[in-house]
Amino acid sequence: MSFFLRYAIRLLGNSTKTQLFLPTALLSERLVEESTEMVFGGGAAGDYPSGSMAMLEAAVAEEEEDMVGKDYVGISEVSSSSYPGSAGVGGGMEEEEEEELELRLSLGTKKAVGGGGTQWAEYCRILTAEDLPSMGSRASPLSSSSSVSSSSSPAADRERCSGREAKKTSNNPPSQMVVGWPPIRAYRMNSLVNQSKENTSTHATIRSTHKKASQNIKNNRTGERICRKEIEKKGRSSVNSLFVKVNLDGDPIGRKVDLNSHPSYETLALALEAMFLRQTSVLGSSIYDGPRTSKLLDGSSGFIITYEDRDGDWMLVGDVPWGMFLSTVKRLRIMKTSEASGLAPRFHSWPNIGRS
Amino acid sequence: MVRGFGWAAAFPDEVWEHVFSFLAADADRNAVALVCRAWHRIERRSRRRVFVGNCYAVAPAAAVRRFPEVRAAAIKGKPHFADFNLVPTDWGGGAEAWVEAMAEGWPHLEELRLKRMVVSDDCLELIARSFKNFGVLSLVSCDGFSTAGLAAIAANCRSSPVHTSVGLEVAILVSVASEGVNELSLVYLLLSSADIPYLRNLRELDLHENEVEDNCLNWISHFPESFTSLVSLNIACLEGDVNTSVLECLISRCPNLKTLRLNHAMPLEKLVSLLQRAPQLVDVGTSKFSADHHPELFSKLESTFAGFKHLKSLSGIWEAGPTYLPAIYSVCESLTSLNLCYATIQSPELLKFVSRCKNLQRLWVMDLIEDNGLIAVAASCKLLQELRVFPSDPYGVAPPISLTEHGLVAISAGCLMLHSVLYFCRQMTNAALLTIANNRPNLTCFRLCIIEPHTPDYISQEPLDAGFSAIVESCKDLRRLSLSGLLTDRVFKSIGASANRLEMLSVAFAGDSDAGLHYILSGCKNLRKLEIRDCPFGDKALLDNASKLETMRSLWMSSCSVTLGACRQLALKMPRLNVEVIDERRGRPLESWPDDFPVEKLYIYRTVAGPRSDTPPCVWTV
Repeated sequence: MSFFLRYAIRLLGNSTKTQLFLPTALLSERLVEESTEMVFGGGAAGDYPSGSMAMLEAAVAEEEEDMVGKDYVGISEVSSSSYPGSAGVGGGMEEEEEEELELRLSLGTKKAVGGGGTQWAEYCRILTAEDLPSMGSRASPLSSSSSVSSSSSPAADRERCSGREAKKTSNNPPSQMVVGWPPIRAYRMNSLVNQSKENTSTHATIRSTHKKASQNIKNNRTGERICRKEIEKKGRSSVNSLFVKVNLDGDPIGRKVDLNSHPSYETLALALEAMFLRQTSVLGSSIYDGPRTSKLLDGSSGFIITYEDRDGDWMLVGDVPWGMFLSTVKRLRIMKTSEASGLAPRFHSWPNIGRS
Repeated sequence: MVRGFGWAAAFPDEVWEHVFSFLAADADRNAVALVCRAWHRIERRSRRRVFVGNCYAVAPAAAVRRFPEVRAAAIKGKPHFADFNLVPTDWGGGAEAWVEAMAEGWPHLEELRLKRMVVSDDCLELIARSFKNFGVLSLVSCDGFSTAGLAAIAANCRSSPVHTSVGLEVAILVSVASEGVNELSLVYLLLSSADIPYLRNLRELDLHENEVEDNCLNWISHFPESFTSLVSLNIACLEGDVNTSVLECLISRCPNLKTLRLNHAMPLEKLVSLLQRAPQLVDVGTSKFSADHHPELFSKLESTFAGFKHLKSLSGIWEAGPTYLPAIYSVCESLTSLNLCYATIQSPELLKFVSRCKNLQRLWVMDLIEDNGLIAVAASCKLLQELRVFPSDPYGVAPPISLTEHGLVAISAGCLMLHSVLYFCRQMTNAALLTIANNRPNLTCFRLCIIEPHTPDYISQEPLDAGFSAIVESCKDLRRLSLSGLLTDRVFKSIGASANRLEMLSVAFAGDSDAGLHYILSGCKNLRKLEIRDCPFGDKALLDNASKLETMRSLWMSSCSVTLGACRQLALKMPRLNVEVIDERRGRPLESWPDDFPVEKLYIYRTVAGPRSDTPPCVWTV
C-alpha cells in the first residue's frame, strides 16, 4: 500500500495541478518525509529533521509562497497535516484532520465547513477575486476549531495543528495572489528587494531564504503572479539574484528581471511575455493550464529575445546552455522579428532547451 | 458713486494685485476670479502658483494662456493606484506636452514639481534650456528618464552670469576631467555656448522615489565649478554609485546646502567624510548604514553627527545594523522628522533609538518596531503628529511580527497631536478602532491596511464596520481615509453621512452591493478622489450619481462589476468627463464589444480638454 502511495505521490508531485490529500492514518513517518521531499523537490526538504515541526512549518510557508493559485493550497496542506506527531493516530483523528484540511483548502471555494471529501473536485479551480470575499466567513470556522482544547494528546495535536493552520492561513495568501495588494509602492518593494539582497548576516537562515524567495516574486513590476509559476519549478536556489535590464523595442520603459529565478529559457520567456506582451493583471484572466510554450520562443508573437553578452555583442537567446547564458548575459532586448536579420532563427530547438 | 461692480475700478490694478497676493489658497483665488471681469483679469495676471491635480484635466496651452505670470507649477499625472502596478505602464501621464507649453509660455518659471508622470530625458533637457531663473525641480514617483537627463540639468547650472565662452571652457574641462563623458552632455555643452538662457540659481533638485535609468555614471560632475547655489539635493532613488569626491567638492562649495539625501550605494566611510563637510545640514538622508565594526569609523561617525547643530530630519539608514546606530544618538534630541522605513533594525535597538527622540513630529518606521516599540514611542514622543508603519514582510513569509492593533491604540492615547496615520498590520478589532476614534478626534488622515483582505474583527469575527464608522463620526476633520478588512455596506452609509470633509477615499475588497457606492457618491460633500478595487459595485450607483463625478477630480474602479453599457451611458450623459476604459487583454476594439461587457479597469475624471489624444492601445475613452 505504501509503495503504491509513494509512487502515486511521485507522479502527482510532478503535476502541479494536483491536490494531495493524504489521510494521516495511512501515513508512516517515512512516507511523510518522502512525500514532502517529492512534492517540494530538492534536497532541502530532507534537511529538515523529521521531528522538527518548526522547520517543516517554515518549509511549508516558503513553498506556499512559491505555489500559485490553487496549487499551493493543496500541496501545502499535505505537509502541514502530515507531521510526524500525528502519524498513527486513530481514525477519529483522521476525520477531524480531513475536516481541517477542508477548512484550509476552502480558501479556494465558497463551500462551508464539513463538506466532505467528495468536494475535492471543487478545489481544483482557479482562484478569482470572487473567491476572496469568502475568506472572511472562513476565518470563523478556523478560529472556532482552534479554540477547541482538550487534554488528550491526539486532541492536543489537533489543536496544535489547527492553531498552526489558523496562523498559517492568516499569514498567507490571497494577498500574495492579488496584484497590487498589499498597497505598497512598487518603488518600495524594489528597494526592499535590493536591500535584502545585500543583507548578509543579520537574519536567521530561514528568514533570509524566505526573503529571497519573496524577492524573486517582488521583482517584476507586473508579472508577479506569472513569475511564481516559474519559481515553483526551481526548488531551492542560491541566495544571489541576477537582475538584468530588459527593453522592448518601442517601449520607453525598461524593466528588470531576475535571471537566477528562472531555471530555463522557457520560464524566462514566459515571464518576459507576461511582462511585455500580455500585461494582464486581472486575477484569473491568464489561465495556467499546464506547461505552455512561450510565444516569444516559438516565433508566433513577432518578437524575439536577444541579449548583450560580456563582449558587447547582441546574440539570440537560446543558443547556449542556460548556465553559460547566465554567466555571459549583461542585458536583454526584445526586438521585432523583422529587425533581427543576421541572427539565425533557432526556434525549433528551443523546446528542447527548455526541457533540459 | 460707483454702481454695480464699478467699485472694482476705484482702485488701480496694482492695489488689487497686492491684496490678492495675500490669498495663498487656490480655492480662494478661484473664487476671486469669479467676482467680476476686472478681478478675473487682475487675478489671472497675478497668479504665481498653479497646481494641476490631473494633467489631463486641462490642456497645457490653455493653462499657460490663462495664467501668463506663473512662477511655480505642480502637476500630477497617473492615478494613485499606479503606485501599486494597477495602471498599465503605457497609460500616459507624459510630461512633454506640459513642458513644451511651459517652455513656450512661462520662460520665467522657477519651480516645477511633477508627480507620477513620465518624464523623458528630452523633457529634462528642455527644462534645462528653457527657464532662465529655474530654481526648483522636484520629480516624485516619475519614470522614463535616466541620469543622462540629470547630467543635462546639472550641466546647465550656473550661479552667476558667466561669459559664455569662459563658461564653456570651464564646463568642458570639468566634464572631460571626469570619466564617462556622455556624448549627449557634450553636445549640450556646445549648444549652451550659443545665446541660450541657462539654468541659474538651481536651488533644489529633489528626486523622490523615481525609477531612474542609470546610464551616465558621473552626472554629478556635470555641475560646473561655478555652481554654488544648491540648497537641497535628494538623490536617494538613484541606484548607481555616485562619485564621492565630486560630490564632496560640490558640497564644499555650496554653503547654503540644507538638505542632502544620498542613495544607498555609498559606503559608510565615504558617507562620513562627505557629511563632515556640511555641518550646517538640516535634513540628512544617509546611505548604507552598516559596515564591519571599526572603532575609528564609529568615532568618526559619532563626531560628525555630533557636529550637526541644526539637524532636524533624518532618513535613509538603509540596511542598518545595530553596530553604528548608537553613534548617532547625539542628534536624537533635536530630530523632528525620522524616516526609518527602510531600516531593518530589530525592535530593541529601534526602541532605544526612537525613544530618545523626544521632539519627534513625524515618524516613519517598519513594523519591526512592534507593539512594545510603539508603546515606548507613545510614552516619549509626545509631539508626534504623523506616524507611518510599513510592513517588513508583506507577503507573510517569515515568522509574524508582534505588531498589532495595540500599538496603534497606545499611540493614539499617548500622542495628543497625532493627526496622520498610515498603519499596516495583520489584525484589528472594532473596539480598538473605537478607542482610537475617541482618543484622537483630531485625525485628518487615517489609512489602515490590514494585510489580509476581508479580515474581520479577530475577536468578535464581525465586520469592521462599527470601528470605521466610529472613526468617521468622531474625526470631523478627516480628509483622507483608506479602508481595509471585512466591511459591509453599513460602513459606507456612515461614511456618506458623516465624512463631510473627506477628500480622498480608498476602498478595497469591501462592500456587499451597489448601495455601498451609492452611499459614498450621494454623501461625502467634499470628495475629490475616490479609488476602488475589487468591490461588488456596479452600474446603478454610478449612473444614479453621475453628476457627482463632475465635482470630483477622479474616480478609479478596478475589478468591480461595472459594464461597458453603463460607461457608454455615463459618457453620453456627462460630456465633461473622460470615461476611460482600460483593458490590457488587447482584443477587439471597444466599439465591437457588447453593452454587458465587464469593464476591468475604469478611470473617470473631469476635464475641460476633451478626450486625450495620447491614449495607448489598452485605453479607450468612451
